[in-house]
Amino acid sequence: MAKSALEGIRVLDLSASMSGAWCSRMLADFGADVVVVEPPNGHALRKLGPFDGELRSIPAMYVLANKRSVVINEATAGGRERLLAMGRRCDVLVSSVRASELETRGLTYAAFESAGLIMAHVTPWGMTGQRAELPGNDLAVAAVSGWAYINGLADREPLKPNGWQSSFCAGVAAYTAIVAALHHRELHPGEGQEIDVAEVEVMASTYAPALLRAGYHGTAHQRRKEIDMTAGPVPVADGHFALTISRAHFWRDAMNVLGLTDLAEDTRWESSDYRAKHKDAYITRVQERMAEWTKMDLFEELSSRRVIAGPVLTMAELVENAHLREREFWVQADGVRHAGAPFQMSETPWSLRSGPAKPDDNQVIER
Amino acid sequence: MKGPLAGLRGIVLTQAWAGTYATELLGLLGADIVQIEVCKRLDSWRGARDTPLGASLAAVATAEHPWNCNPLYNSVNLNKRCVTLDLQTEAGLDVFRRLLPFADFVAENFSPRVMGNLGISYEEMRAIKPDVILCSLSAYGHTGPWTNAPGIGGTIEPTSGMSALLGYRDGPPLNSGQMYPDAVAGLNGAAGIVTAIFHRDRTGEGQYIDLSMQEANLAFIGEAALEYALTGHVPERMGNRHHTFTPHGIFPCSGENSWIAIACESEDQWNALCTVARQGWAKDARFKDNSTRKTNEDALEASIGDWTASFEQDSLVAELALAGMIAAPVLSGTEVAADAGLRERGIVRDVAHPETGKWAQAGNPMHFSRTPADEVRPAPRLGEHSFEVLSELLGMTEAEYEVLVASGVSGTEPTK
Repeated sequence: MAKSALEGIRVLDLSASMSGAWCSRMLADFGADVVVVEPPNGHALRKLGPFDGELRSIPAMYVLANKRSVVINEATAGGRERLLAMGRRCDVLVSSVRASELETRGLTYAAFESAGLIMAHVTPWGMTGQRAELPGNDLAVAAVSGWAYINGLADREPLKPNGWQSSFCAGVAAYTAIVAALHHRELHPGEGQEIDVAEVEVMASTYAPALLRAGYHGTAHQRRKEIDMTAGPVPVADGHFALTISRAHFWRDAMNVLGLTDLAEDTRWESSDYRAKHKDAYITRVQERMAEWTKMDLFEELSSRRVIAGPVLTMAELVENAHLREREFWVQADGVRHAGAPFQMSETPWSLRSGPAKPDDNQVIER
Repeated sequence: MKGPLAGLRGIVLTQAWAGTYATELLGLLGADIVQIEVCKRLDSWRGARDTPLGASLAAVATAEHPWNCNPLYNSVNLNKRCVTLDLQTEAGLDVFRRLLPFADFVAENFSPRVMGNLGISYEEMRAIKPDVILCSLSAYGHTGPWTNAPGIGGTIEPTSGMSALLGYRDGPPLNSGQMYPDAVAGLNGAAGIVTAIFHRDRTGEGQYIDLSMQEANLAFIGEAALEYALTGHVPERMGNRHHTFTPHGIFPCSGENSWIAIACESEDQWNALCTVARQGWAKDARFKDNSTRKTNEDALEASIGDWTASFEQDSLVAELALAGMIAAPVLSGTEVAADAGLRERGIVRDVAHPETGKWAQAGNPMHFSRTPADEVRPAPRLGEHSFEVLSELLGMTEAEYEVLVASGVSGTEPTK
């Protein structure tokens, strides 16, 4: 069996959120032993749709994979003590609740009395500050971080990013912070610490270019007025396709592929400023020609000329995608196809060893 | 304190967004990031010699050089030192090879053929620095039939499956407002490099990381992939809706382009919303429980939108939040810059840049109790630290450095 980077690292996951679960899922994928704590009525994420034919939560199956589960009833006399005892045997704790709730439950960092412990809090707004006690989710975080305001169309409502993007981003940031803290502890034995990662701050960090541009330009970046090839995918014969022209040769080669030789040969069009000023003179012509192509034919033709372009692929197409198959991106766990490694490491590979934790693993954990 | 990665150094060849963001995050955690750039072909996010300055910079006397005043570059290169070296010259390459032993990690986001063509592939680097960590960030990874297909955030969004899921329920696939896949790749690149560092701490072994932007982004919609695997249903665009909870949307407020996000994730929150709104929803059979509300979601959203439209954003957010609802203002870039909640913890802060002056920027989103990483330095000007780094690490003399400048290998201005 291949080595893993986090072999021997024990993690207790107290979190009940997608961001906390993705953080600990990454810890598990790089080799840590992750035990997720569930209340008797099940992990909060198990209530989220969509569900499979056996009424199992699909998002929960994704983010609880590679972990073991222990059911602990904190309301009973011994429940909290068991949690504390398990936490003390671990290197890393992951929590997703606000400070006041941790206090009430008696699960603060201090309560674990373990100097080397690394405890990461992954919450919507952070553990301190004016929003710390407010409820939040991906939608609210998309609103406050600036992302919703720039996604979508000007004449419609702002759009949150699809799915659980804030949670996944925050999960990776918390993972990164935890491993950085493990590095520090490796150099300074016994020096554990608390980590505070707010989903809204991670999304503000990913919003950084639009934020600084708003300052330098004196106006906030707005949602697009219309959908055309300068703003994202446009219709082609069998779907949608993005053709982003930046360098001069992209323009020339793309116009030649599309049979628009007059546009290819007139060098004025090679300037992006000129194109922006004379948009009406080319957009319709180019998009009409694009619409005659199928998305994969156009992609093959343009990418062989090293023109940046991309077909809109659906999940059904991605599963069949020859490139992803050759890279062995898709993997099986418990007989089900899962998305694979976010990045490939040569010596300590990512690995998905098991499907989602089952709440009846209890006896395995108590040791 | 400088953060948990203080004492580590990255010598990086990152550019544009994905790679620069990955290495910026490590710089914010305390690593010394030395970014190698080239005067004759600027990082596209620096722009060019004649890129127009932003309107606000027109009045800033020190904002002289467009390539040092680009908001794109300056937003994702905090906490770095910039050394200019032309790696297509033997002299430049020689300096890079001499720097390599001082690097704990290297990162690059060229097209896959470039590093090999320059003579600094992973194997060639290992011959100089056996435990080096190299992270390559590329559109489609360094193997497979698409490895040489060029890509950027705006095309990875479609090819990773993200665009097919982003959009209004009644509309076409969309790209995000600003090339979101780069940010995803950057976060994952930082994660990969710290993972490799921790492995090296424990074993002394370096390694190679192959990050495909397409794959990193696919992992972020893995629940949609699993839905297709388990049910055969190809997931659709959902706008602002949630699979389980309703209401869950963005609704208009009074005033131009003013919006509020509202979500209920429990009956308590729904009851609180009904109490605040007093629109008769609590007695409406269509909205009796979450399941009937889900069935009648169009009507529910229309009714909520009618109600919110007459209220001012701030006061409505405050009232709903007080009642325990999930309620948040939709903030624009200028509002993010001013938001007290984001400023009080330091994620949004004023960063002073020697040319552009002081502007709100996003800093470090990771807070540590023992190793606080709270130092934020402005993005470097082109070649700002060339002599500083080369003299510090290689003991280079001023005369030797001047030779590099005179021959165009290093410098502080784009080549004319």
